[in-house]
Amino acid sequence: MIEIQHLTKSYNRKVALDQVSLTIPTGQIVGLLGPNGAGKTTLIRILNQIILPDSGHIRFFGDVMKHKHLDQVGYLPEERGLYRTMTVEEHAYFLGQLKGLTKKEVRSHLEYWLDKFEISSWKSKRIEELSKGMAQKVQLIFTVLHEPKLLILDEPLSGFDPLNVELIKKELSNLKAKGTTIILSTHNMKSVEEICDFAYLIDGGKVVSSGSVSALQEAKKEGIFAIKFSGNMIAFVTALWTDFELVEKEILNENRFLVHVKMRGDAGFEDLLKVLIGQVKIEAAWEVLPSMHDVFIQTISAREEAANA
Amino acid sequence: MRNLWLIVQREFLEKIKSRSFILTAFFGPILLLALLFFLFKFGDSGKKHWDVLVTDPTGVFEGKMLPNQDNAVSYFFLEDYVEMEEFRDAKMYQKFDALVEINEKVLTNKTAFVFYRQKPSLKLQTKIQYQSERRLEEIMVKRFTKLPLSSFRKIKQPLNVAFRNVYDPYDESSDVRGWVGYFYGLLIIGFVFLYGMTILRSVSQEKSNRIIEIVLGSVSPRKLMAGKIIGIGITAIIQLIIWILIVAVGLFIMREFLFQNSLNLSSMVTVQMTEQVKNTSLLDQLLQGNEQNDFLNLIYERIQFGTMNFYFVLFFFASYLFYGAFFTAIGATAGSESDGQQFIIPILLLLVFSAYSGYYCLNNPTSNLAQFFQYFPFTAPVVAMVKLALGYEPGTVYQLYLSLLSLLVSAFITLSIAGRLYGNGVLQFGHRIRLSLIIRWLKRK
Repeated sequence: MIEIQHLTKSYNRKVALDQVSLTIPTGQIVGLLGPNGAGKTTLIRILNQIILPDSGHIRFFGDVMKHKHLDQVGYLPEERGLYRTMTVEEHAYFLGQLKGLTKKEVRSHLEYWLDKFEISSWKSKRIEELSKGMAQKVQLIFTVLHEPKLLILDEPLSGFDPLNVELIKKELSNLKAKGTTIILSTHNMKSVEEICDFAYLIDGGKVVSSGSVSALQEAKKEGIFAIKFSGNMIAFVTALWTDFELVEKEILNENRFLVHVKMRGDAGFEDLLKVLIGQVKIEAAWEVLPSMHDVFIQTISAREEAANA
Repeated sequence: MRNLWLIVQREFLEKIKSRSFILTAFFGPILLLALLFFLFKFGDSGKKHWDVLVTDPTGVFEGKMLPNQDNAVSYFFLEDYVEMEEFRDAKMYQKFDALVEINEKVLTNKTAFVFYRQKPSLKLQTKIQYQSERRLEEIMVKRFTKLPLSSFRKIKQPLNVAFRNVYDPYDESSDVRGWVGYFYGLLIIGFVFLYGMTILRSVSQEKSNRIIEIVLGSVSPRKLMAGKIIGIGITAIIQLIIWILIVAVGLFIMREFLFQNSLNLSSMVTVQMTEQVKNTSLLDQLLQGNEQNDFLNLIYERIQFGTMNFYFVLFFFASYLFYGAFFTAIGATAGSESDGQQFIIPILLLLVFSAYSGYYCLNNPTSNLAQFFQYFPFTAPVVAMVKLALGYEPGTVYQLYLSLLSLLVSAFITLSIAGRLYGNGVLQFGHRIRLSLIIRWLKRK
């Protein structure tokens, strides 16, 4: 478990992190969300010991985090970069050995990952010979080469085509299954929903919301239900009357529809079903949870409104 | 230490494999050797072989000047008068470079005139004078004494008067040697600039391609900076050693195969003049040779390459660290590569000033300003090399060590400052360098 306790960091009177405390459970994928300038990069750099906090500390699997623990951390920054004239193999030796691997270990780990991604032929290529996507894939391999206990990934999916996005997601799940703790800083909310177990929302250098992804969605739900039905649309709307509000409508084919309905007053899901049964043929019905995108926007907008008020 | 070594290794391997390193390491000294070759070949005092017409109307010299052929001078005799204007203009005399006029009363007035078209070198003047004197001596011994020539020469004992500097009795130091020191100093400045720029580019590129953040996830900024400076420094030292080796081998080959004759001669020149006068057979041999090349003599006989190269490497290393700190600081604090380029100009001006200080010291080696320049870290490497080449007076060699110490201490200070700027600036991108920003980064731990 990684425990971040009361971290504060300022740059010339500008507070980048303000008493940030958060916990990253072992073997979980934790999303770090927040608008640009929220303090995510500062937090990640402090985790990597690149910069030091003004106050606060980090416990790394029980120990106060020090430079020596960096051998157990893998870091993929948002701004990707490698030495252009070095080959993939030379890079692996350099970065792998910096993380404490022996040459032999680097060789076997590199072969494992290159085989897994089916890119063994890239081993002797210089970075400048690779496309941007290829270089990113290689960089991801370098990040996990030393089998870190903690993996910090800043926008790991950006720049990849959909096939590779799926491949990376799958590998992240595999790493998680092996016990790797992963911190994922991203603006890609869909990926947060799909792969993160837990998320922290940071804004203005503070943690403004946190919890499991489902709990965060639950907290922001608005009582909207989706109904898929066949039948007459006028009959459906008439049945809703004043207790429910039609907020969205999608025509699936001639007499099949998918609608979103919002509850009014004390009316519940059961009440909705009662008024609809007999009027239309209900095929499916479920509660609509807000996407993480909506959660993000709602949370940040609410803070901005509060600040402006 | 493991990571520092890895950084050093990476920097070293990257630089040593680069095309520019190979080009500079091998073509640099070859160019220098080519330059030296031309100076050796054409740096002598002028025409190689002189045809000299001797007008001897009364036949005193009996149509003979030397017992053997001289490589540098051939004498042709004419038992007639030739006026200077006639010699100058007549077509038949154009093939002669000089005219030696032996008058009929030469045995009593002991005077001869030499007319030339192009002024002969001092060496050739001495040679013509000496050979004429020797011939006259032969004739006089034959006419006025009963002694055999060999006996006469045995008893002929000139007084040797030699002027010697009490601090430099063998005349080892001279302005010419100072120039060699200056050349060493300029080489230091050139190499410092070359490798300073390598540091700057390396730092800027790591910033611009963002690899810096990954590396800093494993090593501290100071270690990364130290590894970079050491790695590039080792490359520079290796390049210097390659230069020294290639130039040494080149000089050896030139001495053994191309300028062997000239050097046999020039090594004799270094023997004190008094001995030359005393030992006529030595002077005979000496004057049998080709024209002497002072530059050749300087390179092969008068420079103590061992000492010069040793201090050259030491001063280069210290000044590389000193100036390297500035290049590192510029690379780390610049927001972009182009931003950093602008700040090279002040450093370049300092390097030019350093080169000028060496020239000043060459002309005023004992002045107070030269003393100051010797300890002033910006100018110390060039001035120390000049002073070393000129030679330290007994009891003042401590100045050399003090100069090196001053440079090393200053390097330590500038590296500490650069380290702080590096740590705080290397992760900042896209800004413009401002003094206030630099002060802020200097204050921040």
